[in-house]
Amino acid sequence: MYHGPVIDCDVHHARADDAELLPYLSRGWRDFITDRGPAGNMPLTVQDGLPNPHGFMRADTFPPGGGPPGSDYETLCRQVLQRGDVRRAILTFGDDSHVAGLHNPYLATELARALNDWSIDRWLSRDPRLVSSILVASQLPDQAAAEIRRHADNPRMVQVMLVDNPHHSPFGHPLFHPIYAAAEETGRPIAIHGGAAGWANPASTGGGNISLYFEAHTLWPQVVMTHLVSFISHGVFEKYPRLRLLLIEAGAAWLPSLLWRFDTEYKGLRREVPWLRKLPSEYVAEHVWLTTQPLEISPQREQVAELLGWINGAERLCYSSDYPHWDADESDYIAARLPASWHRRVFFENALEFYGWQAADLAPAGEAALA
Amino acid sequence: MTIDVGSIEEFPEGRALVVMAGRTEVGIVRWSGAVYAISAICTHQGGPLCQGVLAARLTAGRPGEMLIDDAAPVIACPWHGWEFDVASGEAIWDPTVRIRTFPVRVANGRVMVETETRRGR
Repeated sequence: MYHGPVIDCDVHHARADDAELLPYLSRGWRDFITDRGPAGNMPLTVQDGLPNPHGFMRADTFPPGGGPPGSDYETLCRQVLQRGDVRRAILTFGDDSHVAGLHNPYLATELARALNDWSIDRWLSRDPRLVSSILVASQLPDQAAAEIRRHADNPRMVQVMLVDNPHHSPFGHPLFHPIYAAAEETGRPIAIHGGAAGWANPASTGGGNISLYFEAHTLWPQVVMTHLVSFISHGVFEKYPRLRLLLIEAGAAWLPSLLWRFDTEYKGLRREVPWLRKLPSEYVAEHVWLTTQPLEISPQREQVAELLGWINGAERLCYSSDYPHWDADESDYIAARLPASWHRRVFFENALEFYGWQAADLAPAGEAALA
Repeated sequence: MTIDVGSIEEFPEGRALVVMAGRTEVGIVRWSGAVYAISAICTHQGGPLCQGVLAARLTAGRPGEMLIDDAAPVIACPWHGWEFDVASGEAIWDPTVRIRTFPVRVANGRVMVETETRRGR
């Protein structure tokens, strides 16, 4: 068990309905979306390509007053913020996080802008423990960069989140670099969230498109591996040396073997990437952190910790619940899987340092007033 | 022990040629007027290092760039591609990993390599 302070790095907040977002859209886009006569509003989210047989949400997270999980502050507060000494919850959006999966790049850009304003207005204003990701529509990287800079002076918009990939190349490709230039310039880390492929098309994986959610969820880390390898190979950390990267909802135990292989390949293939000045594992050690969920379950409890020790897991992992999703990890469960000597680092201090916060600045539990 | 491994004319510019220096296989490299002597065997898995590609070192000032450092010959082992700086023997990616290098000089048109005398064997 762990009873100390907690930073939860992956909490999905959601809109109750379309009407909640419409006031944040420009009049032109609002009319474009709503003026369809009997057809009703244009869909604002990407439709799931691979339905989860259980549904994607924990059944107990549906708010008693209606609306989807994550859409009601009081329910989220009770189930996340008040379960232990949670000092910060980093909001990562729900289905709206897949804005980069929309085919219309102009609509996606407008939605990302509106969703960020909605997140500030409807959530951050309610509780100082809540901070938000900056959602960007990476279909248009220059406009995504402008959206990041628009929030430069708001310290509660804490990271730039990439989920779906609207392009054929993974996230290290130079076409994405305007986003990283803006992130570095504004001091924001990049957060790549699991599912960072073409979500609705369906999720693409190496070897071909999969057809079952069972396959998708097993291979969840695969796309994140692809993006990480791409980031380092294309020299993103050479070009943006102050940039930090957080990998969310991809587990972590796959990283040691990937780095062993990555370093080995570098020794033989450096000639193709002479701009790299270090082993890939050294870039990871300096620039990359991971969240815990969904933590791999080893047959013996100590096995996963031993494996994570190879990537200095005590310093590299940040706790995430993934509330309110069906596969969310409770903090007690994670505490039982990791060495006690890691707990304070993983549940609190690593995220504290990653986001550049001071412990004294984080409001103690219970201080926030319900609106 | 200093060993005469042949006339300088026997070693063409831009190639690594393997000779026996006593009982040691040594690769003689001529590059931009300089002469180097390196191990003919790769540190990694014992591959025939000097059968690999000898080339100028590729560098970059920024991602996507490809520059040549003509003054820095690099040899890549044909097994797995590990690259070593010919002058220092250091692997490009880690100076603590290295191949042997030998002192070498040209005297009266002859290439003279110094190898260590092994004892106790």
